[in-house]
Amino acid sequence: MRFTVGAERRRRPRRNLKRRLTILAFMSPWIVGFLGFILYPMLATLYFSFTKYDLLSNPIPYGIQNYVYMFTKDPDFWIAVRNTVWIIVWGVPLQIGLSILTAWMLTKPKRGMKVYRTIFFMPSLAPPVAVALAFLFIFNPETGPINVLLSHLGWHDPPLWFYGRQWSKPAMLILGLWGIGSTMIIFLAGLLDVPRQLYEAADIEGASGWQKFRYVTWPSITPVVFFSLVTGVIYGFQFFTQAYVSSITVAGVTTTQAATSVGSPNRSLLFYSVYLWQQGWGNFRMGYASALAWMLFMVTMVCTILLVKTSKRWVHYAGGGFR
Amino acid sequence: MKRLLSALAVLGLLAGACTAGGGNEAPATVNPSESHEPVTITIWGAWTGRELRQFNAIFKDFTAKYPWITVKSEGGIGDQKIIQAINSGTAPDAVLSFGLDNVGKFCQTGAWQDLTPYIQQSNFDTSQFPESVFQYTSYQGKQCALPFLTDAYGLYYNKDLFQRAGITEPPKTTSELVADAKKLTVFNPDGSIKVAGFVPWAGYYETNALTMSTPFGCPWYNADGTRSAFTDPCWVDLARWQKDLIDYYGEQNLARFVAGQGNEWSAENDFETGRVAMNIDGEWRTAFIENDVPNLNYGTVPLPVPDDRASTYGMGQIGGTIIGIPKGSPHPAEAWLLVSWMATDTKTLVYMANNVRNVPTTFASLESPDLEVTPQFQTFLDIFKNPGSHYKPATPIGDADQTAIGNVLEDWQVGKITESGLSAALQKAAAEVDNLLQEAGV
Amino acid sequence: MLTAERQMIRLPDGRSIAHRPLSPAERRRRLLASIGTHAMLIATSVMFLLPMVFVIATSLMTDHQSLTRELWPRPFEWGNFAKVFARIDLLRFTWNTTQIAVLSTVGVVVSSIPVAYALSRMRWRGRQAAFLLVLATLMLPFQVTVVPLYVIFVRLHWIGSLKPLIVPSFFGDAFSIFLLRQFFLTIPDELSDAARVDGASEWQIMTRVIVPLAKPAIAAIALFNFLYNWNDFFGPLLYIGTNKHLYTLSLALSEFRTVHHVEWNLTMAASLLFMLPVIVIFFLAQRVFVEGVTLTGVKG
Repeated sequence: MRFTVGAERRRRPRRNLKRRLTILAFMSPWIVGFLGFILYPMLATLYFSFTKYDLLSNPIPYGIQNYVYMFTKDPDFWIAVRNTVWIIVWGVPLQIGLSILTAWMLTKPKRGMKVYRTIFFMPSLAPPVAVALAFLFIFNPETGPINVLLSHLGWHDPPLWFYGRQWSKPAMLILGLWGIGSTMIIFLAGLLDVPRQLYEAADIEGASGWQKFRYVTWPSITPVVFFSLVTGVIYGFQFFTQAYVSSITVAGVTTTQAATSVGSPNRSLLFYSVYLWQQGWGNFRMGYASALAWMLFMVTMVCTILLVKTSKRWVHYAGGGFR
Repeated sequence: MKRLLSALAVLGLLAGACTAGGGNEAPATVNPSESHEPVTITIWGAWTGRELRQFNAIFKDFTAKYPWITVKSEGGIGDQKIIQAINSGTAPDAVLSFGLDNVGKFCQTGAWQDLTPYIQQSNFDTSQFPESVFQYTSYQGKQCALPFLTDAYGLYYNKDLFQRAGITEPPKTTSELVADAKKLTVFNPDGSIKVAGFVPWAGYYETNALTMSTPFGCPWYNADGTRSAFTDPCWVDLARWQKDLIDYYGEQNLARFVAGQGNEWSAENDFETGRVAMNIDGEWRTAFIENDVPNLNYGTVPLPVPDDRASTYGMGQIGGTIIGIPKGSPHPAEAWLLVSWMATDTKTLVYMANNVRNVPTTFASLESPDLEVTPQFQTFLDIFKNPGSHYKPATPIGDADQTAIGNVLEDWQVGKITESGLSAALQKAAAEVDNLLQEAGV
Repeated sequence: MLTAERQMIRLPDGRSIAHRPLSPAERRRRLLASIGTHAMLIATSVMFLLPMVFVIATSLMTDHQSLTRELWPRPFEWGNFAKVFARIDLLRFTWNTTQIAVLSTVGVVVSSIPVAYALSRMRWRGRQAAFLLVLATLMLPFQVTVVPLYVIFVRLHWIGSLKPLIVPSFFGDAFSIFLLRQFFLTIPDELSDAARVDGASEWQIMTRVIVPLAKPAIAAIALFNFLYNWNDFFGPLLYIGTNKHLYTLSLALSEFRTVHHVEWNLTMAASLLFMLPVIVIFFLAQRVFVEGVTLTGVKG
């Protein structure tokens, strides 16, 4: 490793080139993937969104008509938007709140914590299709165990759950909350990371339970809350599988006829992604589905940016934020 | 880099735009009397279970006639999958579908080949089919499918339950239907429904906008098929009639009853278990009953019509299985031999009619002495022959029209649309369909 | 690396320091508090377990009983599980699903490690921008890419095969890259510097120094990807819909009740069989899961 100064000078450009090529080689899987599976499809979707495209014949240029249709002529679009907003507005805070609560409970016991943790965590790994079918049966208004229990408890007119438009979204919410385990685990780690001395100091000052949570616990878990908020909102916009399976089962149809039945009952489970699927793959309207997809992308971006912007006011990074 | 990117994007777009390239002109034909290399052709269809097994048995006769062709049949395949295969150039040789609503799209785009050249080339006689089948197998002059048996919809009624309620005759009018339904209904002590007389609930088995609108005579489109006719007052009459009977049960009560329905395609079916006394269903149910509950004492009649349409009694919704040759079929000539044989071979049609219990679709098979006709099945043969029976007009918008009007009826039946909002909702559904028609270039 | 576990180990130590005899009153107070805690946890556990109990109970009922309002099987129909195998080709669907899950996982692991390495352990201009781009793709809805991807796969004649579900995994997965990068950053620079002085190439440093140290993180992304692909529904629904022989468990199960006209008992038995591998993997690798989830985030 002993170079003369001259040799060093001569070799540097080549070493630099080699280094760059190494970096390029290391990055290449992602670069190819990004160009081929993300950037190109995104641009192509953008192009399709300005066409009529039925998958069976060539796309026909259609100007901004798809977007005009979306906002001025399509009644189902707004239903899908409302349903999606509903599930996000209720689902995300509930998920975060209950995750904190269960995680907090897990920090209490001196032994047995692992057993409880296993029980709370495992449902979040179960296949969504299997979970949806299980909950459809459990919440069946006629024969399902939940309503059987409720009627034993004296509720003679228990809800229709997935079969009624007023109760289908709350039922979907319960289904979702059963799987809060992975969020809970992150909060558990966050809670256990709060330095004990802070609590001891708060105890000495005579802080109440709420005050301890508000001024000690909360600030240290805000990064986790922020993370869950962002992922929850993004996931909420893409909510599909459970609603799809639930609707076709409630309507009693096969995947062959799924397009007319998704959203059942009464379009109460017609979420944005479900609607997009119905328009694109059910009704041969790939151009319109592409416009819906781009709109989804824009809204997701705006929401994420807004969350990031506000986060500066309430999220506390102990280590000074992203490295 | 930038230039490379845009070049890539353009290239990709071109690739995307070319998916549906290449039409085919003169049909490939084969002379059946010559000798040929052995060939295996594939047909995809939507049949499943027992019906699929019975369907698969027909091909040995075909191979007996054309010894060099072996047929491979795959079941449980719906239209979306057929479309995917056509797109990806992996289409089978021939296809069978239950999706009548897609015929317009299939013909318009050529996804299913126009059979007219084949028909002309082989002097195929189309006059052996009743006129009504052409309405749902062709669109704008393109005959892109042939019928392979059809369905007809009527009213099933449980004779034992009728006797118990003291009713002697099945209803002929919609008001009689309502009166009988009330007599037949049995409530549990807690007020819930034990046996429903008739369930006018859109989405309950085969009860939907399509089957209910046919006896009411509600039009789907204007005369030339360019605009939706959901604003026709007939739809309001239908909705009110539906709602009156629902209110008798109580909307919540009926919703609960519907939620507890047994699976349509199994012995759990409410009509087969006696949970409902009268039900709209297709002719195939006779085979299911024979298979599941052979002792059920039941009868079938055409769907009751409104009092002021008594003269039309006997008609109903028809339209069933269609077969065709997809774009990109690897062996179109052999596929045409298969499709034309399936559509017209009397022995095959009669065998299918006797086993799967569908209505045969040629005059010869309808009159065949081998056709086993029970009184219950005869009803559906008569409905099919009735000149007033029809399917809704073909359009290139798929089943979006059914979805639109179905949404209205479903919202109406649960009270989400009120009396005062009904006509506005129908107008909205009509506008939705009009927009789609316009977009599809009608 | 593993905050939750580390803390748990530390807890007993903390207690042993504070070793002193307790007054009876204090002891009683602690006992009551402990009973309260466990009562609360047990009640919550029941809520989490109840759905599973119902599923298991129903899967053991007779056809007829699953249509009634009874809650407990009588008699126990163990044959239901065999019946599921008779109704659908469960072994084939399991094999398809396994193929997709395993191959995709391999693809993600081998393609994401070098990318994460370049993004964390090599210094270059544009690194931060590239990392932000990776992060940005995390929030990209799959709907935005799905139509053209479909068209591409059509052109490649991949529709009706498992390839559309496997091949893209070999081009890096944003989430896995992110997770690995976060982990790689925690490995002290001295280790790679020492190797560099010994004349090791970046590739050698990555494979011989970093990868062995990052085993927990790699195991975590492998498990996440396996699970994601095992459970995925939308991908198979779009890409392999034409070919029944290539059905995955998710697809087969989604139409099990409606296409095969089966009773709830068999549907629940099939669901259980579908969940079973997940449950087994979870018990074998609970630690990895917990560490991995903890790693996802947020720590910064």
